[in-house]
Amino acid sequence: MTQNVSSEQTTRNIGGGNSTPVFWGRLSGWGPYHALVRVATASPRRQFLILAAFPILWVLSQHLGPMLQMFRVSLTDAYPVAPGVEQNFTLDNYVRFFGDSIFWMPFFRTLIFAGVFTFCTLLITYPVAYFLARHVSRKNQMLFLLLLLIPFWVGEIVRTYAIMILLGNTGAVNLVLTTFGLVDRPIPFMYTSFSMGVGIVYLTSLYMLLPLYSALEKLPKSMNEAAADLGAGAWTRFRRISLPLTIEGISSGCTLVFLISTGFYATPVLLGGPSTTVFAETIAGFFHVAGDQWPTGAAFATIMFAAALLITAAFQKIMSALRKGDPR
Amino acid sequence: MSKLILNRRRFLHSAAATSAVLASPMYIRRASAQSSGEVNIWTYNDFVPESFQKQFEADTGIKVNIRLVDDQGKQFNLLAAEQPNPTVDIMTVAGHRFLQFIDSQLLAPLDTDRLSNWNNINPTFSESDWATINGNKWGAPILSGMEVLSYNTDFVTQEEAMTWDTLFSEDYRNQTAYIIQDMMSVVMLMMGYDGNMVEYMDDPEKAAQIVEEAKNFLIEHKPLVRKYYDSGAEFQQMMVNQDIVLGHSWNGPAAALINDGFPLGMTIPNEGSYGFVYTYNIANNAPNADNAYKFLDAILASPEIGAAMTKASGFISTYKGADQYLSELERKSTSFPEEQLANLQFFRAEANDLKYSLVDPAVEAIKAA
Repeated sequence: MTQNVSSEQTTRNIGGGNSTPVFWGRLSGWGPYHALVRVATASPRRQFLILAAFPILWVLSQHLGPMLQMFRVSLTDAYPVAPGVEQNFTLDNYVRFFGDSIFWMPFFRTLIFAGVFTFCTLLITYPVAYFLARHVSRKNQMLFLLLLLIPFWVGEIVRTYAIMILLGNTGAVNLVLTTFGLVDRPIPFMYTSFSMGVGIVYLTSLYMLLPLYSALEKLPKSMNEAAADLGAGAWTRFRRISLPLTIEGISSGCTLVFLISTGFYATPVLLGGPSTTVFAETIAGFFHVAGDQWPTGAAFATIMFAAALLITAAFQKIMSALRKGDPR
Repeated sequence: MSKLILNRRRFLHSAAATSAVLASPMYIRRASAQSSGEVNIWTYNDFVPESFQKQFEADTGIKVNIRLVDDQGKQFNLLAAEQPNPTVDIMTVAGHRFLQFIDSQLLAPLDTDRLSNWNNINPTFSESDWATINGNKWGAPILSGMEVLSYNTDFVTQEEAMTWDTLFSEDYRNQTAYIIQDMMSVVMLMMGYDGNMVEYMDDPEKAAQIVEEAKNFLIEHKPLVRKYYDSGAEFQQMMVNQDIVLGHSWNGPAAALINDGFPLGMTIPNEGSYGFVYTYNIANNAPNADNAYKFLDAILASPEIGAAMTKASGFISTYKGADQYLSELERKSTSFPEEQLANLQFFRAEANDLKYSLVDPAVEAIKAA
């Protein structure tokens, strides 16, 4: 119905009949509007600036803005500023991290966990992506992808609780194990690095799967067939053809998963135990504690951010070097 | 069994709703939306009975906006960030944290003359030494809680639960949980020290040495604990899933489990423990201060509302006569034998600056160890 009305209005405007033009028709016939459009689109550079203005504003206000504000807070000695307190700039918050070794353990633990979990996610999702891209018919691929996407329609916390239900002492896994007499008493899966790993791999798998699927889907089947004709076995074909040609997908997926893993907070809190405290929990602690601890939390967050970026850059460099051996 | 619990829950909710509606003061109903506007409240889950809230909104036309909090520190930081123009009118501060909020000029003194129902609060709470600071009252006590040792009665005996030592026993390796920050105070008490640190205000070296001892104790026993947790809901979930059978907790979440029929017991162990009182406070420069006073006066109006708060949260009501409106089980889950109560002392705020400057880094060290 709405569509019919719009078509009718458009027709009337285009036809320029006796009926009164609607808003857009009147606007396009308005002199100042014409002049403005002429000035704004006079050159390709102006067109580019107009098109880029909104994305740039978005990135500045929503992405860079909060991070710059966090960085600014990290250089102060008090935030929020209490009445009668003078705020000064200082590097003490950064010195605190490097001067106190108790903060190093959760910091390095986070980086190691993130690296290990990224590798596990790659190992688990690569065969899934391979199967999906190479062995599922094109018409069924979307359905398959949709099935994989369904758990991601709900939030991180809900999916984390699902893992808790699965791995708890009275959870599904222990229920199966005890019902079939495989164990006498429930295995304490929860609140360990194992439960935390399962949770993080589950939560990040999609970010690995999609780049891998995209890379594998572009891989021409003829290459593998030619290699097979020349006598290459399955492992050799994978090692010499599939793997090198999907290195970009691996690189993108690993980068995404690693960066996301370093920032997880709720999942380690809910699934982790006393020996799995990650740096995000340490940072959060500074924001929870009443007092002038926000600058320290902000400094620690900046350090984590910088470290994650450095590692990612190094990783990209390695992957780039590996790509040089790409048979393409 | 689960069906029974569900039916029982529904019954309790209905009963609580009916009680609270009946308990609503007549003047609120007569007001019939004469006033309007809103009141913004930061509080813990279940601290404002839903039925009371609906009735208050219907009778006064004041919309109640609740933002849930789970930590005193977060509340402090949020409020500090918003001053001098806060969005909140009423917040929920524990009595032993008053000083910090007052020193930062975040709270307005409470004008008890504007609360006709002030006398409905048990004077044990409203007239305690911590309740009056600089000659002013700063909050209306609503619920009282304590640090207890909770145990699954199918696995742990009450005798075992009469000492904090059981929490660190090999017998319950990987079946225990506690909040580290709170346990620091309890461990200091276990070791025979003043967990409030008031005794060491003039001797910072001694204070540092005591915190170091408590920290080392918790690090040494770290392999035995299953989980360091933060919220009452986490504790309840671990107990229900039988991930733990023994743990330090606040009495509120434990009592809520008992009222749901879970085989849980709780004690104030022989070494002692700490109690605290939650209060409703009015923020400095509150945007809707008049509505805040109306809300406070309404919620203090009758012991049935206090009982409804206890039923929902599990914490002990500070209202006179609230226990008359509790069932036998609810009364049992919110009361302790006299000999155990004798082991209880309240958290104090005088040495908080000294205490938390030492305890906070110790907590980080324990987590990192």
